[in-house]
Amino acid sequence: MPTVTIDGCEVKVKRDATILDAARKAGIWIPTLCYHPAVPSEATCRLCMVELDRGEWKQLVTACNYPVRRDIVVYVSSERAKKARRGVMELLLARAPESQELKALAERMGVKGTPYPNVTDSQRNCILCGLCVQVCEQIIGKAAISFAGRGAERTVAAPFRQPSEDCIGCGACAAICPVGTIKVRLHKEQQEVEISPFKSRVKLLVCQECGTPIVSSEVSEQVLRKSQIDWQEFRELLRLCPKCRRSQTSARLRAASVYK
Amino acid sequence: MPEDSEIIEQIVDRYDGDDGMLIPMMQDLQAESGYLPADQLRCLGRHLRLPLSRLYAVATFYSSFRLAPKGAHEVTLCMGTVCYLKGSASISEAITREFQVEPGGTTRDRLFSFQAVNCMGACAVAPVMTVDGKYYNGVSPASALEILYGLTKEHVTADKEEQT
Amino acid sequence: MTELGIKRFSSLVELEGMREKLLNSRSASAKSIHVCTGPGCVAKGSFKLYEIFCAAVEGAGSDVQVQAKCVGCHGFCERGPIVVIEPGGIFYQRVEEPDVAEIFRETVLGGRVVERLLYEDPNTGKKVEKANEIPFYKVQERIALSGNGLLDPTEISDYIAEGGYTALAKVLSPMTPEEVISEVELSGLRGRGGGGFPTGRKWRSCRQAEGSPKYVICNGDEGDPGAFMDRCIMEGNPHSVIEGMLIGAYAIGSEHGYIYVRNEYPLSVERLKNAVAQAKELGLVGETILGSSFSFDIRINRGGGAFVCGESTALMASLEGRPGEPRAKYVHTVESGFRGKPTNLNNVETWANIPHIINRGGKWFAGIGTEKSKGTKVFSLVGNVVNTGLVEVPMGITMRRIIDEIGGGIRDGKRFKAVQTGGPSGGCIPAEHLDARVDFEELTKLGSMMGSGGMIVMDEETCMVRVAKYFTDFLQKESCGKCTPCREGLAQMLYILDRITDGEGQVGDIERLEELGGLLEGTALCALGKTAANPVISTIRYFRDEYDAHILDGRCPAKECRGLFRYEIDPEACNGCGICLKNCPADAITGEKKVPHVINQEKCTLCGTCWEKCPFTAVLKV
Ligand SMILES: Cc1cc2nc3c(=O)[nH]c(=O)nc-3n(C[C@H](O)[C@H](O)[C@H](O)COP(=O)(O)O)c2cc1C
Ligand code: SF4
Ligand code: FES
Repeated sequence: MPTVTIDGCEVKVKRDATILDAARKAGIWIPTLCYHPAVPSEATCRLCMVELDRGEWKQLVTACNYPVRRDIVVYVSSERAKKARRGVMELLLARAPESQELKALAERMGVKGTPYPNVTDSQRNCILCGLCVQVCEQIIGKAAISFAGRGAERTVAAPFRQPSEDCIGCGACAAICPVGTIKVRLHKEQQEVEISPFKSRVKLLVCQECGTPIVSSEVSEQVLRKSQIDWQEFRELLRLCPKCRRSQTSARLRAASVYK
Repeated sequence: MPEDSEIIEQIVDRYDGDDGMLIPMMQDLQAESGYLPADQLRCLGRHLRLPLSRLYAVATFYSSFRLAPKGAHEVTLCMGTVCYLKGSASISEAITREFQVEPGGTTRDRLFSFQAVNCMGACAVAPVMTVDGKYYNGVSPASALEILYGLTKEHVTADKEEQT
Repeated sequence: MTELGIKRFSSLVELEGMREKLLNSRSASAKSIHVCTGPGCVAKGSFKLYEIFCAAVEGAGSDVQVQAKCVGCHGFCERGPIVVIEPGGIFYQRVEEPDVAEIFRETVLGGRVVERLLYEDPNTGKKVEKANEIPFYKVQERIALSGNGLLDPTEISDYIAEGGYTALAKVLSPMTPEEVISEVELSGLRGRGGGGFPTGRKWRSCRQAEGSPKYVICNGDEGDPGAFMDRCIMEGNPHSVIEGMLIGAYAIGSEHGYIYVRNEYPLSVERLKNAVAQAKELGLVGETILGSSFSFDIRINRGGGAFVCGESTALMASLEGRPGEPRAKYVHTVESGFRGKPTNLNNVETWANIPHIINRGGKWFAGIGTEKSKGTKVFSLVGNVVNTGLVEVPMGITMRRIIDEIGGGIRDGKRFKAVQTGGPSGGCIPAEHLDARVDFEELTKLGSMMGSGGMIVMDEETCMVRVAKYFTDFLQKESCGKCTPCREGLAQMLYILDRITDGEGQVGDIERLEELGGLLEGTALCALGKTAANPVISTIRYFRDEYDAHILDGRCPAKECRGLFRYEIDPEACNGCGICLKNCPADAITGEKKVPHVINQEKCTLCGTCWEKCPFTAVLKV
């Protein structure tokens, strides 16, 4: 097992673990945005820069995807590493000035604000980390959204910027978004769930008793398919929200006078 | 449209259905229709078992793809370094001004699509503009406009001939 | 090939046999007309010339032994269209359609030289008959371009007759893959695509990497504006690239090859496809090549118009049918590249050098060039030089010799200001460093780089801030947008540069640019972003006074930035024709007919229309 020396602290990690893994093991915080353990690291945000000692020279690398294959020495809190992370954060703040999540992270890093004006605005408050695209394709298996355009015009969008035909309204993208840009909106009257900003709308299953939305109908179909427990009784259960289901069950039990 | 799907099948077969050849396939498709209609992309995606979002990502990433129909003529202006240094930016501005068309767009009357490309490798005769593949060397804003106005006439007379 | 009586070579002997047969069939007295069909000459109508020559050949009857062929770029694009008559190598330049009949009558049939169409040496005033006597060619040393101007790129028999595929034969019979790699290592060949990585070492890592299949790729993306070296090789001598790839594949242990050609080069695709098909037919590509156990297939793929796809990992993503976004290279592509398999990628020119290295030996190649940069390099010499074109020079030659001796100095008697090398992320080298040698390390030290070989010469009337802005704008548009520093940082840099060239620069802008430059270099994901600030940083380094003039004095010294200079009418030169007055969209010009006109500076919007339209160049920028 190779040893990683981070700011003087030694940790052993498995071969091909990342510097970030090692830092977490050593209890050293490195800010990240585009990293999520559920998907492979694409290292798009460049926030997790650390300095790698190569003997004769030092190199900035991204901690979240640099594989450890031999003993290495890494600096998280060197001036150069801190300056690099601050520079990246300042650029992100200029791009997404309204994100509270981003501001909080910046504060934790000691970055007070940004000297840069907002000059790129392909998508409001989106830092284009790509986690939503990855989760939709790799975990949900839908690939309802993708990147569109390139360079400063890059955005995340559903095909033709129309509501996606493939979206099942699961909300995984919203859950994984590190800056709170993607939102799940419930439209109770239409009994639909909307994933904004992609405009996709999917019918909701609504509790037959109380009318509370339960889950997007497509999600429930996908779960039934994947788990292969598609029997009628189970489908019956799905017609009710958890609350009504509980009260119905207890009512049934009571009626059956089990406790008599 | 059965005809569409036939064309797409042919294209897919041309590359043995190898999804690595998606870009050449999309180029062939564009050569058929002049642009990439949404339905055809959908159909191509189904043939290759690729999600539509992938095709859309590719279509918007590469500058040679067009998602809207193009004009009757294709005007390409080189904005490579040498052409730029020799004034192609002012040619582009002149075209935009006179025809209200930005690079990458098509004039409202669909007379021509205007593309600015990076380098056509003909720097020795810069600035270079091509119209439907024909090279014009050492163009200036004035001569470029003249060439494009020539197009208008050609186009109009052709229309008239068709009517009579 | 069936007309040559050969279907498919099943041994080396058969290849040799065909070569002899081809050479014997050419009688010494036969004439050959070489019409250049390089991009520069084609743009000037050389295909038409070729057609007329063909018609003339047909009309001449069967008793005259003559053939017309289209050949790859001669390099001297400035003087195109170029026609060379062999034997004798009589070099005609700027040939036009009406000249064809004369050339055919006088030179081809009569054996006389048409003086009028020869090149005139500007230094001596003498007419020059042969290419190698022209200063433009004298200083050059041609290896990768040696077949250009000689071979018909559409005919494999031409390539074979000139010794083509002998290197492959040599490799297949007595050499082991190890020996091939050693030979390439000995040559000291470094990648010609930009990075300058030692080719032999790359092959060795790929050979040693675990996993199969292994892939061999040729990078023909050539996205640098102002560069057309690779294009001219692909179109002028496609078989040299294919032969190089075959040798590399044999050495590495690969059976699958791809050539990735940029979308803007349809002719390259056509020529390469044709060449691969011909080589397949003869058993030089495909299964059991030349009867050996070695098999290798080549597919041609087209790009879609994205500069970043020249980057190795982006290119591989594109080959997989995805957007061309680079990925981290902490694990090298020789280990995990195309489809996650070991992949060896080399540039077109790198591949084209390989057959020569095998034929003449690594030692011979290493004898050319400097200590760390061996062999020759092809440059496309463009911009404000007298002789633009494609040049191949030994490494270590000074920039001054390239620009003055080959390029013939600056056009229109103006003064040299800078030369930009290394493509859009290269740097600008000023006059005081013109004696620098062309060498990977030396160019990097100067803040530029070798890149893939664009060399853009700029004269005194070029605004260096605008040059920096042009490249930043280019890179910003071509950035894939995947990573933060490149996408956001370049946009911020461009914003500042825009402000400066608009005359609204602020004190501190230069420092801000330098800071962003440092950030990009340190944190961007791929080499595009890491080097994207080079044009800005190098122009700040050498031309800081121009930035200062824009920012502090609101003045553009080169008079290029609109708004930072004025237009005035020179009363001496103006004869009052009224053209400017009629064309001025702001009605800012007044004056009676035949009396010098005046521009009202208050009304002038600085659009420059008068300057463009004045037939007497009486409108001045001051
Ligand atoms: C943004 C970018 C663009 C590039 N464009 C090209 C190109 O057009 N052609 C090329 O051969 N190499 C290009 N390269 C270099 C390649 O990534 C790669 O290093 C090269 O093709 C390897 O071949 P070589 O070792 O033979 O030079 C580019 C690199 C970057 C970062
Ligand atoms: S540096 Fe630029 S081109 Fe390279 S990955 Fe980042 S955004 Fe894309
Ligand atoms: S967290 Fe490592 S690059 Fe984004």
